[in-house]
Amino acid sequence: MDSITALLEGFATAAQPAYLLYALLGVTLGTAVGVLPGIGPAMTVALLLPLTYTLDPTAALIIFAGIYYGGMYGGSTTSILLNTPGESASIVTALEGNKMARAGRGAAALATAAIGSFVAGTIATVLLTLLAPTIADIAVTLGPADYVALMVVAFTTVAALLGSSPVRGLASLGLGLFIGLIGTDTLSGQQRFTLGVSTLADGIDVVVVAVGVFAVGEALYVASRLRHGPIEVIPVGGKWMTREFWARSWKPWLRGTFIGFPIGTVPAGGADVSTFVSYAAEKKLSKKPEEFGHGAIEGVAGPEAANNAAAAGVLVPLLTLGLPTTATAAVIVAAFQSYGIQPGPLLFTNNSAMVWALIASLYIGNVMLLVLNLPLVKMWVKVLQIPRPYLYAGILLFAALGTYAVNFVVDDLIVLLIIGVAGFFMRRHGYPVAPLVVGLILGPMAEEQVRRTLQISEGSLSALVTSPFAAVAYSVLVVLLAVAVVVRVRRKKAETLV
Amino acid sequence: MISGKISAKVEEYVFGGLVAAIGVFTLLDATTIAARADNAVGPRAFPYAVGVLLVATGVAAIIATARGKLGQAEEGEDVAVDSRTDWVTVGKLVAVLIAHLVLIDLVGWPVAATVLFFGAAWTLGAVWWRALPIAVALALVVQVVFASGLGLSLPAGIFEGVPFLDG
Repeated sequence: MDSITALLEGFATAAQPAYLLYALLGVTLGTAVGVLPGIGPAMTVALLLPLTYTLDPTAALIIFAGIYYGGMYGGSTTSILLNTPGESASIVTALEGNKMARAGRGAAALATAAIGSFVAGTIATVLLTLLAPTIADIAVTLGPADYVALMVVAFTTVAALLGSSPVRGLASLGLGLFIGLIGTDTLSGQQRFTLGVSTLADGIDVVVVAVGVFAVGEALYVASRLRHGPIEVIPVGGKWMTREFWARSWKPWLRGTFIGFPIGTVPAGGADVSTFVSYAAEKKLSKKPEEFGHGAIEGVAGPEAANNAAAAGVLVPLLTLGLPTTATAAVIVAAFQSYGIQPGPLLFTNNSAMVWALIASLYIGNVMLLVLNLPLVKMWVKVLQIPRPYLYAGILLFAALGTYAVNFVVDDLIVLLIIGVAGFFMRRHGYPVAPLVVGLILGPMAEEQVRRTLQISEGSLSALVTSPFAAVAYSVLVVLLAVAVVVRVRRKKAETLV
Repeated sequence: MISGKISAKVEEYVFGGLVAAIGVFTLLDATTIAARADNAVGPRAFPYAVGVLLVATGVAAIIATARGKLGQAEEGEDVAVDSRTDWVTVGKLVAVLIAHLVLIDLVGWPVAATVLFFGAAWTLGAVWWRALPIAVALALVVQVVFASGLGLSLPAGIFEGVPFLDG
């Protein structure tokens, strides 16, 4: 087994003291931004991009991977202890976990979330280790038309299938694709949509866009409707190390893992879908379904595991195909590109040492996260209580700093402000921001692959669909769309009946 | 409440119209991109597709609004969904951001950052005598970390030549 030797070498690299520190930094930051409302992993990675140019790529990517995993852990603490809906991936946790905390069983809810995340994260990382090299081997044989097909699938699912309004999702995708077009065309050297402004000739930096929509847009939006008054954190109560705790948790953890990982791997859902599926499964399998809605521990254990397994699953298409299916994954692709590395099938041959050190650091990061989120959970409760004026002022300050640090020009801050205001209005009117970021990063890659396909076929459009792999991908997409339409219609019927 | 609904609808029309307008701009401006005539897939093809997508989705959003299907405002831990939009606060924050970007080249990053943090915290309801020292400390710490640790230096402005602050 080549990959096992490679993984052991990866561990040898990732276990060096310096890299361990970078991993610790990443997971700590990740948990903090996961706990805090208003900032998420996507924005944090984007903000740190300019600051990590001086690090070697392996160190930077270990930090980013830590932030990515850490954000998933931190989110659950918030949704269990704050009585308000949190980021979409952990809403289901809020349903049961919040009820448990109110009933004085907060410790058990936090523990099942943290241990479940650890179990799922570790198993899913093992699956990633086993699957990724094989998929990369297959992916090497894919041609440009196949990549176009994969990207079309990713675009459609991210924009149209997730979220409540397909039209607004697609509009957001379109805006992202448009921003991606601004600048100098790589193939012909022509300037496009620059309006003759020299700052725009190099294109708009991904960091500026991501920080604009996530940080500035979010801060303005929250400010417009800030919840005033004290922050109500439910005190952590109860014991968790009971026989009942383990007996009721371990099966949902495993089921959540095997529901979440595949959903994360295929570009068709990301973390949110997996938590809903897991929740529904646990409710159906439970011997006491009447407890659901009143603080059933299975309803925390399963979705939390699914959430983390899906996050690891997202790394499979990211590392082997260079295909991001969530906003955070898209920003990580941008991070790879800033180091001149293109994630994709060749990553495992060209940057083998780096990618295995990264995977090894995921195992290490999971152990660190378990410690950070189980015995040290009280620390995060304090973080949760940061007064909101300072929190959002800090977000704006670091957003401006991160943007300015990209090129040290004030023009970027003007672009940041414009994109931030756009992000504000998008949030007000239900336009999801994730498709914009995915479109921005995948758009230029998609254009290049389309043009390569058509150059090879001498302009014949049929080349885009005649490759067997592409044909299969488009058929799967059609089936997915059909299923989505059916589900939507049924849900509407159910709603009108109620 | 009713006036709030009407203004939300107007905003939705404007946003949908803007999306469509960017689409029209994309289509028109794409025709001016220089491309060789013999080249089947030049730098224009993809912009045309993006333009069509933007026009189509913008128009669809306008139609959906007309039919009464408004977008759902995003939820969040710190968002009180039922409360009215506080436009004054949003306006002040935008003004603070503009002040920040204007001040960087005039008086340097530390002062501009102090203005940004203090202005934003104060706008959002912090007590001024607590927000001000925090803002000053934060700006100076970041300035020192950048100047000494990261090898990237932020413009020191009025602190030019001061040890630790000017990298």
